[in-house]
This record gives sequence, C-alpha cells and structure tokens, in this order.
Amino acid sequence: MARSAAAGIPVTDAMERLRPFAPLLLLLVLVVGIDVAEPGFASLTTLSVVLSDASILFILSAGMTFVIMLGGIDLSVQAAASFASMVLAILLPSIGYAAFPAAVLAGLVAGLVSGVVHVKLRISSFIATLATAGIMTGLSLLSADGRTVAFLDAGRDQSQWITGAWLFDIPNVILIAALVAGFGMVLQRYTRFGRYSTAIGAGEPAARAAGISVDRYKILAFGLSGAFAALAGVLLAARLSSGSPELANQLLLPTIAAVVVGGTAITGGVGNIGRTVVGALIVSIVRIGMTFVGVDIFAQQIVFGAALVLAVCVTIDRSKIAIIK
Amino acid sequence: MPTLETTRAAAGAVARRPADADARPPARRYRWRGRLAEVAPLIVLVALCLCIGALSPAFFSVRNAIWGVGNQAAIPLILAMGATPIIVMGSIDLSVEGVLSVGAMIVVLLCTNDSNAHDLGWWGPLLAVTACTGLGLVNGLVHVGLRIPSFMATLGLWFVGLGIGTVALGGSAVRVLDPRIRAVAFERVLTFPMAVWIATAAFLLALLLERRTRFGRYIYAIGGGEDIALLSGVPVKRVRILAFTVAGFFTGLAAVVAAAQLGQANTTIADGRLFTTVTAVVVGGTALTGGSGGVVNSLIGVLIVAVLANGMVLLGISPYVHEAVQGLMIIAAVALSIRRGGSLVIK
Amino acid sequence: MLKVDGVSKSFGSVRALRDVSLEIRRNEVVGLVGENGAGKSTLMRILSGTMRPDAGELSVDGRRVVLSDTRRANEHGIAMVFQEQSLLLNMSVAENIHLAQEKQFTRLGLLARRRMIEAARVHLAKVGLEVDPTVKAGELNFAARQMVELAKALALEERTDAPLTILLDEPTSVLEAKDIDVLFARMRSLKSRASFLFVSHRLDEVLAISDRVYVMKDGMVVAERASDASTVPDLHAMMVGRDLHSEYYREARQAPPQGHVLLEARGLSVQGIFRDVDFALRRGEVLGIAGVIGSGREELTRTLFGFLPQTAGSLHVDGAATMLRSPSEAVAAGIGYIPRERRTEGLVMDLSVAANVTLAKLDVAMSHGLIAHARERAIAADWIRRLSIRTPSSAQVCRNLSGGNQQKIVLARWMTARSHILILDHPTRGLDVGAKEEVYDLIRDLSAEGIGIILTSDTLEETIGLCHTILVMRDGAITARFDAAAGAKPTQVALLEHMV
Repeated sequence: MARSAAAGIPVTDAMERLRPFAPLLLLLVLVVGIDVAEPGFASLTTLSVVLSDASILFILSAGMTFVIMLGGIDLSVQAAASFASMVLAILLPSIGYAAFPAAVLAGLVAGLVSGVVHVKLRISSFIATLATAGIMTGLSLLSADGRTVAFLDAGRDQSQWITGAWLFDIPNVILIAALVAGFGMVLQRYTRFGRYSTAIGAGEPAARAAGISVDRYKILAFGLSGAFAALAGVLLAARLSSGSPELANQLLLPTIAAVVVGGTAITGGVGNIGRTVVGALIVSIVRIGMTFVGVDIFAQQIVFGAALVLAVCVTIDRSKIAIIK
Repeated sequence: MPTLETTRAAAGAVARRPADADARPPARRYRWRGRLAEVAPLIVLVALCLCIGALSPAFFSVRNAIWGVGNQAAIPLILAMGATPIIVMGSIDLSVEGVLSVGAMIVVLLCTNDSNAHDLGWWGPLLAVTACTGLGLVNGLVHVGLRIPSFMATLGLWFVGLGIGTVALGGSAVRVLDPRIRAVAFERVLTFPMAVWIATAAFLLALLLERRTRFGRYIYAIGGGEDIALLSGVPVKRVRILAFTVAGFFTGLAAVVAAAQLGQANTTIADGRLFTTVTAVVVGGTALTGGSGGVVNSLIGVLIVAVLANGMVLLGISPYVHEAVQGLMIIAAVALSIRRGGSLVIK
Repeated sequence: MLKVDGVSKSFGSVRALRDVSLEIRRNEVVGLVGENGAGKSTLMRILSGTMRPDAGELSVDGRRVVLSDTRRANEHGIAMVFQEQSLLLNMSVAENIHLAQEKQFTRLGLLARRRMIEAARVHLAKVGLEVDPTVKAGELNFAARQMVELAKALALEERTDAPLTILLDEPTSVLEAKDIDVLFARMRSLKSRASFLFVSHRLDEVLAISDRVYVMKDGMVVAERASDASTVPDLHAMMVGRDLHSEYYREARQAPPQGHVLLEARGLSVQGIFRDVDFALRRGEVLGIAGVIGSGREELTRTLFGFLPQTAGSLHVDGAATMLRSPSEAVAAGIGYIPRERRTEGLVMDLSVAANVTLAKLDVAMSHGLIAHARERAIAADWIRRLSIRTPSSAQVCRNLSGGNQQKIVLARWMTARSHILILDHPTRGLDVGAKEEVYDLIRDLSAEGIGIILTSDTLEETIGLCHTILVMRDGAITARFDAAAGAKPTQVALLEHMV
C-alpha cells in the first residue's frame, strides 16, 4: 500500500530522491560559474586556498552538525573557538605541546556545560548557548584584559604541525579536516552515539520510549560541538600565531550556513557529516569566489544571511513542528 | 458504560495534569506563589541597589542616577520594548543588532556627517526608523510566510543587516555632525537627558499597546496557547507579523539614540545589544515560553542590568566580567521561570 | 433548528462518517453516544467548523450553511465547549470570554477594559458563576473553567440572530459528581436560551439530561430514541451491536500462567494520582487494567515504564526491588512498552525498520564497539520473516508502513531487547479488524513463550477476551480483581459495577 501511494505521486518522489544531491549540484554550478566569470578560478592554488578555508569552517560545522541533528542549535561555537585560542596562546609558553590538548579540552568542558545547562535546567538550546557564549567571551576577555595574545617564536615552531604542509605540499590543516571528517562519519554511522542522536532528532518521544537516555546523548553532542569548535579555534590561532577573544566572532553565521546549506535540516534527524563537508565547501567557495569576483567582504554577510534563510526554508520538516514559533 | 474511552481526553488530561495540580486546590497557595514570582525581579532590583549603594555611596548621587543608570538604560529599554511582545508570543527576535546597525548607518549618512554632503536634518532619523520598521516587517513576513521558526528567520536578517550597515559605511566609522542629532544625547530637558525622555515615551507607547489594544491581547493569547487562539479566531499570522514590525520600529528608535550617543556609526555600534536585550527581558520575569510577563517586567529587567553594570563600574570590576555575569543571569532567570511539568521535549 | 443531512467524511481509506443525518431542535438537549471511533468526534468537529465534510449538507433554520471555520460556525449560532478545555490559562476570565471578539469594545483602536469586564460579568451571571472576571483562568478549578467556557459560548447571543446551539464534548469527564449536578442544573435553566448537543460516554448521564438520544456506530447513526423511553442496557446494545464468538480473542489458546512472578507491585502509589496498587504478574500471564478516564490506569501503566516515578510503595522485577526513574531504567530491567501514540512514541518514523528494531538494544548489532550494519540487517530480516512484517526491505523507512506492521516492528524491538515483561498500552488502537486479529494472535504467542503482559485497552470486550486477570480501577485505587480464565470470563456489567 505504501508503495502504490509513493508511485501515485512520482514527481514529488523524484524530487525527494534528488534533494540530497542538490547541494552537490550547487557546488559544481558555483565552481563552473565563477570560473566562467573569472577564468583562472579553478586552479590548484585557489583549490588549496578554498580547501584550507573550508577546513576550519568544516571543523566548526562538524560539531554543530551533531547538535543540529538532535534538533538543537549551538550559538556558542564562535565563543568556544575564541576561548580555546586564548587558552592555547596563554598556556603555550609554559606547558608547550600540552597546550593543544588543553585548549581542546577547555572547549569540550565548555560544550558539556552548555549541554548540562540546556538539558538539566530545561532551557531551550539557543538561549542556553547564547548565555554560555556570553560567559565564554567574558572569560576570554578577562584572561588577557581584552588583548590579543601573540605566540612567541617557540610557539610558532610548536604550531608547525598545523601550519606546515608535510604531505605532497597539501597544507596540514586540510589533512586534519579530513581526519575530522572521517572521525565524524564513523561516529555517526557506526557508533551508539551516532545512531541515538539521529533517533533523538528524528523522534525524541519515540527515542525516549525506546529507553534511550536522551539527556546523556544531548549533553554529549554539545560537548563534541565545543571540542570541535575548540579544535577549529586552535587551528585558526596557529595560522595567525596569536589568540584573540574575538578571533572567531565572524564565524557563527558561516558555520550554521555550512550545516544547513549542506542539507541538514534544523528540525533534526535528517543530515550527516558528509553533507556538512559539501556545505562548508559551498560556503567557502562563495566566500572566496565573491572576493575573487570583487564583492566586498562585508556584502558577503548579506548573501550568507539570505542564503541561510533560503536553505532553512528548503530543508525544514514542517510536519515536525505543529506551531512555528 | 460500555466503552473505556480514553481517547484524546485522556491524553490531554494526563498531559495537563501538572498545571492543573497547581490550579485545582483552592488557589490561595498558588496565588501567593504566583505573586511572589511576580515581584521577585523588583525585590532583586531593590536589593541590588541597596548592596551597591552600601559598597559605593556614589551610587545614590543624582548625577549617577541620571547619567550612570538612566542614560545607560535608555537604549536597552527601547530595544526591550520591541523584544518583549515577541517573547511574550513565545518567539524571539535575534536580528536587533543587524537592524540597529542599518538604522544607525542611515541616520549618520543622511544627516550632516564627515563622509558625504547629505543634510536631511530630522528626515534622517525619520527615514532610519521607517527603514528599520520595514526590516521588522521583512522578519515577520519571512517567519510567517515561509513558515520558518523565528530564531532562524531573524538570525538571517541579523547578518544581512550587519552586512548592509557595514557595506554602506564602507567598513569605517562615520561621524555625525548635525548638532540636532547630537542634542538627543546631550541636551537636557527638565534635568533628564533627551535619551531618557525618548525611552520613557517608548515605554509608555509599548505599555499602551500591551494593555489597551487588541494587538496586546492577542500577543498573550498566542503565547498562552497558539492553537486555542487560532481556534477562537485570533488572526495569528497578522499579529505575528505586526509584532515583528513593531520590534523593528523600536529598534529604529534605539538606532537613532545610539548614533546620537556615540556620535558616529561604525561596525561595532550594535555589538552586544542582542545579549543585553534578551538578558533584560528575561531577568525582568518574562518567560521565554511565552504568555507571561510584559513591558513593566522588562523595565525592571533593564534597570537590573543597568544598575549591575553601573555598580561594577563604580566598584572597579573589570567590564569584561559583565558579559559573563549577563550570561549567568540569563541562565538563572530562565531556569527559575520554567514551568514545571511542561513539554518533555525541549530543543 | 440545526440540521445535518447525509454528511460523510473519510480519512484515507477509513470512513469516519457515512451518510449521517440528525437534527437539533430549538430549546432541546440532544444526546450523542457511541463507542470510541464511532464518529462522534468527527461529527463535532464538522459542526464546530474545524473540519469540512466530504459530502452532505448542514442547515440552520432551513437555510443551507457552510461552516468553513470556527468564526463562521459562531455566526450561525454554533459554539463548541471543548473536552480539552480551550481557555487560555494565562489570561483573565473576561479576556477569555471576549477573545477575538474585542471589536465591539474598541474605540479609536483602544480597548474599553471596564466595559469588557462588565459585559463578562453579565455572561458569567447567565451560568451562575460568581468569580471576579479579572482573575486568571488558570486560577480556577476545572468545574469553574467549564462554566466560563459555557459563558463564553453564551456570549454568542449578542453577536448573532441565529438560534444558539452549544456543542458539549465530554463535559463531565473531568468533573466531580457535585459539579456535574451543577452543570446539568445550568443546562436545564439555559434551555430557554439555547439548544445543546451533549456527547458523553456515561450513558446514565446522557439519559438524565437529554430529551432525545442519537446512537452512532461505525460512522453511522444507528438509532434515535426519546430518552424517557430508553434504558442504559438498550443504548449499550445498540452501540456495541456486534456478535462476536469467543474465538475472536483466541480464547482457546489461553493457557493458565505458570507460577513464577515476573513483576510485583506492593502499595505502589504516585501522589495525587493513584495509591496502594498491589498486583503480581506471572510468567505467561496477561493482566488487564480496566478503568475510566481519571481512574489512574493510564498513569499506572506510565509508572510501570518509568515515565512517571512512583512516590510510595515498591516494584519488584524478578523478585528484586527496582526503582524505575526513567524509561531507560525500565528497559534495562527487561520491561518493554508498546505505546498508545504509535506515531510519536512507538517508532522513530524516519529511521529504517532495521534501526527501529535494534533501537532499544543496539548491542546485539555491534561488534568491537561499532555498529555492524550487515548483522543489523540480518536481525531485522529475521523478525520481518517471523512476524510476517510486510515491508519491501529492512532499509525501508517506517513512516511508509501500515499501522499493523508498525506495531509489529515495535514488538520486534522488545523481542530483540529480550524484554520479558511487556506493557501494551491500547495496542489495537487505530488498527483495522484484520490487523487486530494478528495482534491478538501475537499476544497469545508471547504469552505462550512465558512473557508477562500488562494490557490496557479501548474496550472492555477486548480486555475480557484477552486477559487472565483483570484489575479494575476507580479514582486512583483498585476496586476489584477478576479471574478471567478461559471459559469462565466475567461479564462487562460485572466490571462496570466497579468502574463507575
């Protein structure tokens, strides 16, 4: 019966099937389009620039993907990234390499705190993370009196593993992002966490009634988001050789945009890390492409804002929200 | 009685039980608790004033009250007047920073300034407010028309607005030189700065809207139960769009005052405004779940935030602590205002 | 006079209303009774303007009307008092009464609050409710809220010339006995102002208050009777009217349970909801819980699965005292739950059949800490075969399957999780006859395998037919316990005596 119903409306069915590939198609169109407008865009050099740019954006978005898959949102990723950059810059001279894991750990803890605030105090995620973002920004500002903290020479050497290009001249950042993508995909497809977070996003009451500890997995997702954001902050700091309380301030919008443009619905349950890879590439190409074509970088925000609304509008599952608030 | 009907009625009864458990016993205890929750923000405000006053006597000087608290509270209050009806509906407007930077940009570029030759005088602020009202309308139309949750719709416009503002200013700061605009910040009328009077007018207007118009009624109806409101014939869509438009209007007003106080528009003129506004509304006792609170609560909330900020300055506490404290305040206020036994699913 | 003529309504393949005709005359109270699913609610929705019929006509005083929304229904004098109360608890009584009708009190865009409060007072006086109109609706008790709703409906008088018809959907289900008396007294005194259509599952009440009664069954009006010429058993017979032999419930397969106690409750209570519940569920036993709305049986089943933690007493699973604070703890203790709300709580509709089957115990599909997709598919395929679940493959998304097949997948999940106690919360709700019979077969299969089952059901027939033991609850306490061995089943009347 289900099949005949589907066969009865073949057009919608075909569209449903094509929808997951739309972002990929968009990516291709963009690359070709920009190359036609400004020949020379599709070269190895720009590819490397785009990929490096997309790498950091992707890592930020990867953590966010888990949260959005659960049906929540994390508005504190930019704060977590900046916070991690400060932790790194401040600790690097005293504890050396250990500062890198320490910074990521700081992000993890901050994310877990966001998760606990959201779940245990029963505050909706966007307000909870708006608040924890404020706290993190406050701490970052406080830690060095609002100043940027530059790495010392030793620090620059220690961040070689990020800034260098050890394999076929491919910037290490790209390799790190690839590792993160692989890790994320395994996490999502082959682990309890991945399965349960998809289930919670797709139908929280049913997941709860199946005996899943919904709270635990939600908190974990926010923790992951914090940790990934911190990793992105560390990479950014290494590239700039400094930590700053405002380092990642401009990255919240592109991060959400990358997730949503990739085809992950903000209503949860639909999407995956692979889509976010495509989304991050699209956002980066648009960003760099616009600069390439000569669009003011501030004007890009206008495009992103509009694109975000459009992408949300297309991907959202309205049957899941009875009342749209 | 042959059937054991347990249909929707049972589901409804079970789901509603917690709220009803409150309502059922003769309401005295419930009322008493309700009243306490209503005055809690006021108690916090008074206690805060007394504490800060005790630690720093300068707090109670007339000068500090006017310039340190009143003048500082003006912009947050105007913004809160727009945000409150939206939060009462159970929605949120994240676009204040974007809309405000557009408004400030228009004021500065259209009045006498150090970047171009325009000199439109009072037309500048008027056009700015109109433009912001229009952006609010766009928020409402996108949210209602495309059926996307308000926080996403307004998140989009937040950045669109910031982009427009920054692009038009060319990425730099433009100073406003029109003395009439500057007067908004510095001229005193009956010992109070103009900004305070504008904020007071905004508050009274919002109060009138809330208490004496159908719009005000419907906002509470939507926040209290949108399905019921819809069933009763409340024009929910129109009210939603109107609420975002009204918010745009107040944000425009705040933009004019901000440009005047700062004497310029720049890329950071709107920084932190959203955070302060939401904190103020929530700390004042308006629940994010909608249906309760109001502009009087927001007035108290704004004063709490302003007094706290002022107190920290007087006590020599780093301004960077302030942002963190605001974050904690949001969490505390929201956690305290959550209705127990509400929906199990919180996103 | 409100007249319904040949109205039909279908939802997909289900025909909710078939050629329904009835009329409500002026100053008359008309009762409407029928089993769950007989079509009463659908008819009420059509009359209140929240749903449109597929065919048929409605007329008021001989003129044809189209009720496209609530507002239009109001214009024709029809107002509904909803069973899920429709007052906004955060707003005052006066604000609720005038909601969406403020225009008459508006001058220059401003509301005349005093006039609104005075007008509200007038409407409240009609129903004899003495409350301050400025009090918030949330501060009133159920009975008072119901009166406010009635007053809200009566406020229609001033806005329409049409005769007033008030639809009351299960108004007594949440009221105490004395409040019901008050409601009936008001209805009688208001008969001069309005007609009423009264829907209730309490037949004695229906007969007491109404002048005429319509009986519905399977989407059709099967009888119309004058109240003083009918009795409760008459109505009952017309509503059920089904002649089922005992084999329908597979009674021949009902074997006596085998001793060992799986789940035991001792003095189990949730404050303010139910108290002192004692029972012992043995291996292979089907234990039914009967009771009306508000008897506490729905909450009891929720407590047994950890949704609603107990406040007193104890639960023993396999002899060991267990505290269930969440569903995950219940699952860990070996309890499975087949919920009434299949679409929201039963399955994660957008996940595959395989993922839903392993959802409660993912371990079975994991190796070396990772999910082995091939193994997962094999497990699902095995269940698809054993329970004859009709699905194209184990990768199919559950949303596209029929209700009966979805129910089997929920069952397969608990079998995979090796639950030895199953709570079946209205397991056949919304299923067609064929699917129901399959579920009955499955229940017997499970019972034969030694699984303990706790069952709540929409009809007493089903409860009696399937269970070994039946507990009857009323007002939060167990009032009777029946042994329902095959061939020695208690009658519905025997159970009913302890329910109301």
